[in-house]
Amino acid sequence: MHELPSPRAATRRRKASAEVRALRASRWRRAILGATVCLAAGGTASAYTVTLTPAAPQTVYLQVGVGSFTQSYISGGQPGNNPTINLVSTSVAAAAVGNGTAQAMTTNSTAAQSFWDNFVFCSVPGQLYIGGFYRTTGATTAAARVSATVPSALVSASGDSIPFSTIRWTSSGNGDSGAEPFPAGSFVAGGVQSVGAMASNTWNESCLSFSYANASVPAAGTFTGRVLYTLSTP
Amino acid sequence: MSAGARRAAPPRFFLVLALAIIWAPSAAARTTIIDDSGTQALEPAVSLRWKTASPGRHSVQNLMVGRTTLRVRLNVLPWLKRRGRIYLALPAQAPGPLTATWQTQGRLGPGQVQSGNRVLIYSGPITSAFIEDVVALQFSVDGQLVNRAFPVSVRFEMDED
Repeated sequence: MHELPSPRAATRRRKASAEVRALRASRWRRAILGATVCLAAGGTASAYTVTLTPAAPQTVYLQVGVGSFTQSYISGGQPGNNPTINLVSTSVAAAAVGNGTAQAMTTNSTAAQSFWDNFVFCSVPGQLYIGGFYRTTGATTAAARVSATVPSALVSASGDSIPFSTIRWTSSGNGDSGAEPFPAGSFVAGGVQSVGAMASNTWNESCLSFSYANASVPAAGTFTGRVLYTLSTP
Repeated sequence: MSAGARRAAPPRFFLVLALAIIWAPSAAARTTIIDDSGTQALEPAVSLRWKTASPGRHSVQNLMVGRTTLRVRLNVLPWLKRRGRIYLALPAQAPGPLTATWQTQGRLGPGQVQSGNRVLIYSGPITSAFIEDVVALQFSVDGQLVNRAFPVSVRFEMDED
């Protein structure tokens, strides 16, 4: 006796049949996808690789007074060495010696323009240019420090002296605003003192206006002393 | 959904699939990386130097550049006598964003690309098994990202018309 399939059994078979077709379709998709991948990867693929090596990535430049640059930075200038030692001086009139009125000092430096963009940043002879930079790769580092090595006193030919601490300076720059990288201060009477800092990979510059305190009466004469500025990187 | 509707689904699927296969080439070009194993660098070592000797006054100028010249030789035999578009691709890679700028001797086009992108350097018929040119490449990268030597990969990709 032939048994008729129940409606529920027929539904199950239809479901099973649909599942088989879905499985086949799925296999087809996978097969076609696989073929596509094979086609895409079939060629001899390659990429060209070069290695970039930082060359002489660290550079320092410090200029106090005149300096050397082949041309302005904006025009691709390169820094150079300049052995010039500039003079900052004042002459105190006999009648004014020791009267407590500070005497402005002037410089023989002709460095008025910034080597960054040739902008007339300092006013000579009243201001001494100081500037520079510290180049380094990688993330921003601690600042480079600029220090001054100061003798205890300015000395005359006859051996008289004036303490270096009688000389101070203010700091500014034409068109400048905000804090100066080389702020105002006064010399210590002998020793090494910090005069400024340079954040890595930034150009830093200020114009220093020196003055002599003129609060004492030294012996007549010409008093000289040399301050050495040093840039130290971290 | 009725059982009849379910029965009709597979044929529609295969029809759509068949159409998709037929239409695929015209709908989206297929991209293949070109075999550039014949390419040589005229300067194997690439020095990375500051683009400007000095940093900026108020804004930081930290770009470093490295230049090299490649004698590019692309094996385009698989596309011979067909038309194609060739791209220079600069994948995104360490140490971070890169820019490549290049000049050529004319077989391929000059251009500039940022890492993670590609730029068209040739479009037209492929008439020979190899495409060759001398490519003067310049890489630019922010010096703040550079701590040591690092490899940079470029590749050439073909999109078939």
